Amino acid sequence: MPESPVAVERIEAPVEPESLDLVQDRLESWLADHDGVSVTDRTRFEMALVEIVANVVEHAFALDADVRGRLLTVELRLTRELLEARLSDNGLPAALDLGAVTMPDEDATSGRGLALAVAAVDELTYDRVDGCNHWRLVCRRAAG
Amino acid sequence: MIEFDVTTTADGIGVVVPRGRLNMVAARQLRETLTGLVEGGSTRIVVDLAETTFLDSSALGALVAGLKTARQSGGDLRIARPTESVMTVFRLTNLDTVLRPRDDVESAFDA
Repeated sequence: MPESPVAVERIEAPVEPESLDLVQDRLESWLADHDGVSVTDRTRFEMALVEIVANVVEHAFALDADVRGRLLTVELRLTRELLEARLSDNGLPAALDLGAVTMPDEDATSGRGLALAVAAVDELTYDRVDGCNHWRLVCRRAAG
Repeated sequence: MIEFDVTTTADGIGVVVPRGRLNMVAARQLRETLTGLVEGGSTRIVVDLAETTFLDSSALGALVAGLKTARQSGGDLRIARPTESVMTVFRLTNLDTVLRPRDDVESAFDA
């Protein structure tokens, strides 16, 4: 039997930088209703979610793509055991190997996003299905 | 969602106080603010993170870029008073050694 969720939330946003604040606002108010989630889990989950949304904003669409056609959906799920986010967007396929992501050198001015997301949560997966990108982030909640 | 207070001390040290979230949108502003300070002659900069509630990889990139720009002009960039959650980002990216947090803005450039 799959574990029944304590809470779910669905966010739809255009793929543009301003949507980061929208996603963070909605995440914060959603988590504020569920005070059993530890600060550590909230922090690492938000950190990874923001990096993936930023990655979609930066890489999923050609620079000249019409902003009205760029859609991102974020589904959040909280259970007693985990915090999960499923993201999907209708952008270009991401050419990446999450298993090969490494933290760049200290003097790099970019390229830390995915490495930070990988480090922050317990699971991060990417799939291309039916012309859409799908990301899944899982943060297993600390006991107590 | 973010405001930057920018001041210069009597010693010529530029102090930047980001209030709110430093994500991708704000990181661009931070980068421009830091470049502007160096170009204006303030090559020693302290970024006071006490009121920064969130910081992502693009903001880290802006801080590293600011650090490089300041050092190329003979100065330096230091961070002060990060919250515990912001400090986590520095630790996970191994930047806590190059951008070692200082306890306060006033002594950030003391030996």
